[in-house]
Amino acid sequence: MRSDTDAARGGSSAAGAPGDEALLVRFADGDAEAARVLTGRLGPRAYSVAMRVLGNRAEAEDVAQEAMMRLWRMAPEWQQGQARVSTWLYRVVLNLCLDVKRRRRTVHLEAVPEPLDESRSAAERMQEAARIDALQAALMALPERQRQAVVLRHIEELPNPEIAGIMAISVEAVESLTARGKRALSRALQERREELGYSDG
Amino acid sequence: MAETETELDVFFAAARHEPMPQALADRMVTDALEVQAGRAAAGAIVPRGPGIWAQLRGALGGWAGMGGLATACATGLWIGLAPPAFLPDPVQLVYGSQEDGEPFGGFDLAGLLVEEN
Repeated sequence: MRSDTDAARGGSSAAGAPGDEALLVRFADGDAEAARVLTGRLGPRAYSVAMRVLGNRAEAEDVAQEAMMRLWRMAPEWQQGQARVSTWLYRVVLNLCLDVKRRRRTVHLEAVPEPLDESRSAAERMQEAARIDALQAALMALPERQRQAVVLRHIEELPNPEIAGIMAISVEAVESLTARGKRALSRALQERREELGYSDG
Repeated sequence: MAETETELDVFFAAARHEPMPQALADRMVTDALEVQAGRAAAGAIVPRGPGIWAQLRGALGGWAGMGGLATACATGLWIGLAPPAFLPDPVQLVYGSQEDGEPFGGFDLAGLLVEEN
């Protein structure tokens, strides 16, 4: 699922498309098209992580927009080869999420429905929405670091060494956090097995 | 454990379908362009002019002009090396005949030496 973006993370991709770092340099040189391509690549990932970590759509949008704004402002000072652009962005997103959680008093799930995927039947969409809601509720019950690690590993599908770089911890610590997080998620979701129909694969 | 992994994967897969709202993408691009405009206004972005080869190509009439110039050069070189039969030999024109080419052909060097003595 991430193969296209995985290839584009470095200076150039296998398919010849410019990598994130090359695009960031072009953006700093005034290339407007580079901004659009980077937004298409990195914006959804920033938003997805913020959404799953915060569980609130409006806050996730604010965090993703602010993270991308920091990327635009930082572009002229970017030192090539220091890190992946996506790693830098994920780190900013997680820090901004922590700031949001410090500011708010209560955790709540937003009532705004998930965007509809018209290619699926109404029943399939309802079941998927129920699964996402259940997963989000279970994620929100996890300790903060476990939730971050599980989201990066199993929803963003990042490799453990990159997660370790983003969270500034060891690979072993990432493995421990994700293992404990998955056990807790399994327990929380087990009770809703019939309702969510997750044995149909 | 394997069953639990599969069950969880169903949830994770559902969560990966989260699309980013188009309005958010538009705001991100707008921010980016504003940052670029601000830097350009502050003189931090210098528009890059065409390079020396691009300028030369433009002066010669673009790629079409460059192609015509290259063809003319190649044709001239070929005519110089292997002139057609109806044209005079350019080497003959420059240097003349073998006889004409002798610098002291019509001069008696021995007579000159005698006069000096």
